[in-house]
Amino acid sequence: MRMARTSLRAAVLLLLGAMPAAAHTGNLSGGFLGGFAHPLFGPDHVVAMVAVGLWGAFLGPPPMFILPIVFPLVMAIGGVLGILAVPLPAAELAIAASAIVLGLMVASAARPPLWVAATIVAAFAIFHGYAHGAELPAGTDAAAYSIGFVTATGLLHLAGIALGLTVRWPVGRIGVRGTGAAIAGAGVVFLWRLA
Amino acid sequence: MRRLVGLVMALPVLLPEQASAHPAFAGATGFYGGLLHPLFVPTHAIAILSLGLLIGQQMPHWRWPIALAYAAGLGTGFAAMICAFPPRFSAEALLAATAVVAALVALARGLPWPTACVLALAVGTALALDSSPGGISVREANVIIVGTFCGAVILLWVTLEVATVFRREWQKLGVRILGSWMAASAVLVLTWQLAR
Repeated sequence: MRMARTSLRAAVLLLLGAMPAAAHTGNLSGGFLGGFAHPLFGPDHVVAMVAVGLWGAFLGPPPMFILPIVFPLVMAIGGVLGILAVPLPAAELAIAASAIVLGLMVASAARPPLWVAATIVAAFAIFHGYAHGAELPAGTDAAAYSIGFVTATGLLHLAGIALGLTVRWPVGRIGVRGTGAAIAGAGVVFLWRLA
Repeated sequence: MRRLVGLVMALPVLLPEQASAHPAFAGATGFYGGLLHPLFVPTHAIAILSLGLLIGQQMPHWRWPIALAYAAGLGTGFAAMICAFPPRFSAEALLAATAVVAALVALARGLPWPTACVLALAVGTALALDSSPGGISVREANVIIVGTFCGAVILLWVTLEVATVFRREWQKLGVRILGSWMAASAVLVLTWQLAR
């Protein structure tokens, strides 16, 4: 009897705490945070995004900021392919390779013409966007999720640029190039784990 | 005792809350709900922000005619809604217009102001048609519409005025980066909506 009464009380409490159901919630917390966390919890994405920013630092302003503009625009094309489930062969391999190539560019302080750098970054952006688009979880608020992961990606670029600004000092230059080498090494590990 | 518990359990069922398309946030209703609607619906917010950035970045001297075209678009869309015009693909149209406007911000290429007026008209119309109020009565719906109109105009004006003062090189590049983020978001959401 006591058990039944307790259950009834619990049921009443739960009912009193009921929230209204809404069609499109525009939920900024769940969708946005889920999207924002997505690139941050993928080490292969994180190192490649930071490398884009670091490489930009060697290119100097204003080209330094062109790469973070090119990347999201082209990444969206990859995202479209991913959402539409268009087969893109070796996407994970290309993502791992992006860490190696971009890391080596930073480590060697490469300063190619802007169009070459932009083309390399754009090529890899397609694969990163594809992975994000393909992994868009069903049932989430797509708008908030997409805005979240694009924002996180952009902020990782800006973090890379901020770190890269230390190249004006000799110690910073060594540190940034060392970070590039570490990113390339991480890329080799990602590739090895895929094999 | 059981009868009492049964009555208490039935109470929440008898007090349902209205379902709305996309509320700004819980508790925001009426004029203020409408006023905050463009700010708290992500796709609407990025549409207005990208248009404001475009005007402030490329043609601050033409902000009045472009803003008027945008307001006219909003008015047209809301008038169509009041006349019970069934909005179809308004969300998709808004996202497509946002993608174009935000990509133009990212590219920072000079745009003729009449073209910007056409884009502003398109954004305003699609935004209004995608803002169907969740009110129960006609009066309440009209109050929400007036609030949404005011919120959409205020947000655009604030954004374009802020973008107008960004004249340093790094600030202009920051605006372009924001444009690229919004263009990418709009393209992805549009694809997701169409593929659903």
